[in-house]
Amino acid sequence: MSDQLVLSVKNLKLYYRTRKGIVKAVDNVSFDLKRGETIAIVGESGCGKSSMAKAVIRLLPRNVHLYEGEVYLDGEDIMKYDEEKFRKEIRWSKISMVFQGAQNSLNPVLKIGYQVAEPLILHEGLDKEEAIERSKKALKLVGIHEAFTERYPFELSGGMKQRVVIAMALITEPEIVILDEPTSALDVITQANIMNMLKELKSRMNLSYIFITHDIALASELADKVAVMYAGEIVEIASAEVFYHKPRHPYAQKLMASVPTLRTDKKLEFIPGTPPSLIDPPKGCRFNPRCPFATEKCRSESPPVIGLEEGHYVKCWLFGEK
Amino acid sequence: MMTDYLLEVKNLRKWFEIRKGFLAKPLYVKAVDGVTFELDRGEAVSLVGESGSGKTTLGKTILRLYEPTDGKMIFDGKDITHLDAKNILWYRRQTGLVQQDPFGALPPHMTIYRILEEPLIIHGFKNRHERREMIYRALEEVRLTPIEDFAPKYPHMLSGGQMQRVAIARALILRPKLIIADEPVSMLDASVRIEILTLLRDLQEKYKISFIYITHDLATTRYFSEWIYIMYAGHIVERAPTRRLLDNPLHPYTKALLAAIPDPDPENRKRYREVPPGEPPSLVNPPPGCRFAPRCPYATEKCNKEPPEVEVEKNHWVKCWLFT
Repeated sequence: MSDQLVLSVKNLKLYYRTRKGIVKAVDNVSFDLKRGETIAIVGESGCGKSSMAKAVIRLLPRNVHLYEGEVYLDGEDIMKYDEEKFRKEIRWSKISMVFQGAQNSLNPVLKIGYQVAEPLILHEGLDKEEAIERSKKALKLVGIHEAFTERYPFELSGGMKQRVVIAMALITEPEIVILDEPTSALDVITQANIMNMLKELKSRMNLSYIFITHDIALASELADKVAVMYAGEIVEIASAEVFYHKPRHPYAQKLMASVPTLRTDKKLEFIPGTPPSLIDPPKGCRFNPRCPFATEKCRSESPPVIGLEEGHYVKCWLFGEK
Repeated sequence: MMTDYLLEVKNLRKWFEIRKGFLAKPLYVKAVDGVTFELDRGEAVSLVGESGSGKTTLGKTILRLYEPTDGKMIFDGKDITHLDAKNILWYRRQTGLVQQDPFGALPPHMTIYRILEEPLIIHGFKNRHERREMIYRALEEVRLTPIEDFAPKYPHMLSGGQMQRVAIARALILRPKLIIADEPVSMLDASVRIEILTLLRDLQEKYKISFIYITHDLATTRYFSEWIYIMYAGHIVERAPTRRLLDNPLHPYTKALLAAIPDPDPENRKRYREVPPGEPPSLVNPPPGCRFAPRCPYATEKCNKEPPEVEVEKNHWVKCWLFT
């Protein structure tokens, strides 16, 4: 890991339009990512973590109501790029993504080699033979023998398919790979296998990962730092050491307390109540209805993002205006 | 010797035929292939295995949703291996099932009240007031309150966690002696998972119901069961009291499984996990002998024969030649 900033997201917003109203899926989210660094985005389903990823790689549905903010890649604001330029220069060339459940989205009638090579044909204009040669290299990188370029998805196990999908994300040698629940639906041993591979690729290729997961224990397999999302906002960002040992935001603390551990005993807790609607989130701090420390202020005013130390930010009134 | 187990399972097999034998040899998926255990009254067991290990099939065979291929099951002193229609109805009343997917398990066109009323009608509760009382009590137990708000709702109006509460209320409403929960929380969020598991566990302890918790998530077993059974490719390879199994796993497969699971720890990112090579075998044509042998670092010639189940220390059973 170097100190070189590769991605800087500032005040990113992504709102959707639905029949019930405007869904504030991503609401003023900011974070930085260095070269070779992994940020894990954790949170419960519906907290906006997948939307955040889609906003970064700009894969948006049609019902977007608002999409704004700044996203600096190597110092340049790529939010200013038009769709054509973004598609040509950014998406898949510099930022790629492994989608949730993607191992089941491989095209059943195309050979593995061609499917892995496709990004090169589309994004770098290579001809088919050349691209398939490169796909052999990418497959080798993820531990699949080049003979598999000639096979079809049904001939592969779930873990191997997941490796293929990761090869597709790596073949263009991107700077950033977004991993959206890359091992969901895989068995634990296969999952450990994929995690080992992601670790190795990260150090070998100096990749930066945005690792999206609801599994807090699994996040620690890759995360250098952790961002906790709640109801469309990041409520805490901290280094892995700080987050896993001493999270500060009440929601982050509760979330940690709900994680069962295999090797040690602890008192398991759950968070009473349910996450709020993103259409009409609570006034003030969005966690206030479930927070044991909520005060009058929390119910009326949204808390600012407060820096506790270098790289550790908490969006909570408990830490400000003392 | 008199035993007072709720359930005794002896050498149970469930094979699914995938090719009829006429001229060719018939082919079977040997999903459960020789499983033996006893379940005490009021005891909670976690049945842990990866997908395709046969854990769901074992659960469904125990509930007699599948007809066993071979072996024997004794429930409450009664042989339930083969049951006629009348006895099946009796057995259904003794057992309850909570499935993985609450969205699929609750009929979408029925209100919560109606969903809970159905088993009561089937099992002959003719008095409407009595039924109403039972339904209200069941909803209160799973804390779906205020009851008047929830009873007339349809499943789609509930969150995943709330739907799973309805499924639990339905499984418990007839006060069964055995509940099987098949991955009851794997589709729910982390914080809700603990809530639902705690609820299940509290009710199970309160009513002294025996409980089989089928899961792939070993981390939760520590908190919600007294026993762990580890399944691999149709066999139970190790069974022991929860803490003992987690603190001192003996079977090479159990060891590999435990080593693969991360605890939340920032040190994890700095190290690689040891992972056994290969993948679980096909259940159509499993390896002769120990099913884990092809992936096992300790495999010897001997492992080509099926290992016996050995009680290595009291209550700690391992199906492995290393301990004979």
